[in-house]
Amino acid sequence: MARPAPSAPIPGEPLVELPLLEGRHTDAELTHSLLYPVDRRGGRAFWALVLLALAGVGYFLVSVVVTVLVGIGAWGNNIPVAWAFGIINFVWWIGIGHAGTLISAILLLLQQKWRSSINRIAETMTLFAVMMAAMFPLLHLGRPWFFYWLAPYPSTTRTWPQFRSALTWDMAAITTYFTVSFLFWYLGLLPDLASARDAARSPRKRWWYGLACLGWRGSARHWYHWRVGYLLLAGLATPLVVSVHTLVSFDFAISQLPGWHSTIFPPYFVAGAIFSGLAMVLTLLLPARRVLRLTHVVTMAHVDALCRLLLVTGSIVAYAYLHEHFIAWYSASTFERSIYHTFRTGPFAPIFWLTVFCNVLVPQLFWSRRLRRNLVVVWVAALLVNVGMWSERFVIIAVSLTRTQLPSAWAGYSPTWVDWGLLSGSISLFLLLFLVTVKVVPPVPISETKELQRQVDEAEAFLREVEATRGGGGAR
Amino acid sequence: MIGEFSTPHALVDATRTMRERGFTHMDTYSPYPLHGGSEALGLPRSKVPLLALIGGLTGVATAFTFQTWMNTIDYPLNVGGRPTFSWPMWVPIMFELGVLLAAFSIFFGLLGLSRLPQPYHPVFESEAFRSASTHGYWLSVEAKGEQSSERISQELGALGATHTEVVKGERE
Repeated sequence: MARPAPSAPIPGEPLVELPLLEGRHTDAELTHSLLYPVDRRGGRAFWALVLLALAGVGYFLVSVVVTVLVGIGAWGNNIPVAWAFGIINFVWWIGIGHAGTLISAILLLLQQKWRSSINRIAETMTLFAVMMAAMFPLLHLGRPWFFYWLAPYPSTTRTWPQFRSALTWDMAAITTYFTVSFLFWYLGLLPDLASARDAARSPRKRWWYGLACLGWRGSARHWYHWRVGYLLLAGLATPLVVSVHTLVSFDFAISQLPGWHSTIFPPYFVAGAIFSGLAMVLTLLLPARRVLRLTHVVTMAHVDALCRLLLVTGSIVAYAYLHEHFIAWYSASTFERSIYHTFRTGPFAPIFWLTVFCNVLVPQLFWSRRLRRNLVVVWVAALLVNVGMWSERFVIIAVSLTRTQLPSAWAGYSPTWVDWGLLSGSISLFLLLFLVTVKVVPPVPISETKELQRQVDEAEAFLREVEATRGGGGAR
Repeated sequence: MIGEFSTPHALVDATRTMRERGFTHMDTYSPYPLHGGSEALGLPRSKVPLLALIGGLTGVATAFTFQTWMNTIDYPLNVGGRPTFSWPMWVPIMFELGVLLAAFSIFFGLLGLSRLPQPYHPVFESEAFRSASTHGYWLSVEAKGEQSSERISQELGALGATHTEVVKGERE
């Protein structure tokens, strides 16, 4: 095969509209440009964002302390609305994490080349989103220091957890999900930490990256086991994407409450989770690619692909809404009909219609190619989807609980400042962790991008060869 | 003895030729996995999948045994006369623990098979070797007995190495 020329033009293949990598970069250039965010000190905007996030974290800490000292009474929860912001935030955050695993694991198995520029950012988002999610059930315990009661340990009371309860499943699902996501993230990071070690200018940086990369030297033996292991972990993470939110939806679906007791919940929750996560990936990615100067590896092709995925998952969510309301009517159950009627016309109807607007109508914008490539439209739409997915969970969880089967037990619901503090504070903490992480670890997988560049080169060389033989045949 | 090559193809070709000429204790170093690199070195099949299978099955079996013993034998809870051995309810945790232990086996298994963490290795003695994780393609050949470092250096040079260097140190 002919060797590729160093500056090959991007071939005009009809199916490839947008290039995955803009321009051609040598390995050394890629190392330099992808380590740029790590090498450089944070600018004024970075520190301004960090300060803003820190302020939010302050509010968060106050809310946590109040929650622990006063108890759940500091929240707006009541009876019958025993689950509100705590569980809404939990479901929202854990759902956001799912897109990271989708991008890193499922797209890896499907050999989608475009994943490799954005998988680190998506996985980082997953890790922190799952951390935020895990905090809420702990706080909701009221006495978080007894969280270990959920784990099976030989206690002096000689009792064991009830494994028929969805809550023990939840605990197993979330700890597994977090651990596997972390291992996957760290494994993918090892070669890049070695690059950061070898490109580091100060001995102190070199020492820390050397420690973190565990002495990775890119040996053929390392790569050999790494590749097999990485692929296998992706294979394991794939059923996790489906299972974690399925188990979360069981918390609701296996109860008797109208509005919760539904078999559509597992697929509906999984689709919604991926939908919200893709929106969060876009929310973070669009500013990050510009500020971190990654526009040559995170191109419009990535934004376009993410928007298409958002449209697909959004359509599944829209179908689930339609189906839910249809089945409530079709079941002829008074309670089911009544709760869905309450969703549409009750005191919280504006939130329901906001959900429909954000999750059903807004993604329809992405049928248009022009809008998929308008970064402002995409970013605003992604933010709206984040809002929409939160309000969807509010409708499912809190509004369903205000109307139980017994009308004498009906109640209203209004959140307190502590509730808002926990929600906005968790967003701030998430932002803070994300900001710190992109400054410390390479935000784009360096080794995978180099491999991709090599593959693009080879594809181009092949195309040229094909065209040369064809052209030769035509001339004769 | 380590030598640097300018392209991955040159490295893989050189590795294959060196192995055919009877050199042993070789390893290649590159910033990303080389296409055909492990075949050129003749590495045996990776044991990582086997470890993953063992880990996964251990997790599933452990979760089944523990849940059966805890909820059926040691502390049976009678909820409305439902059977205490309700194994379908244990499937979620069996799945989760299976995945968890399989993931641990993969992660620690592959680190163990790669002999990581390994803070020191003779190749780190070379300052030029820092390119191995960024843009260089390196081949290491152990100099031993009749395969003197001069001979290896000559061979590597003939195969297109742009730079050769001797590094001394204990293996492992």
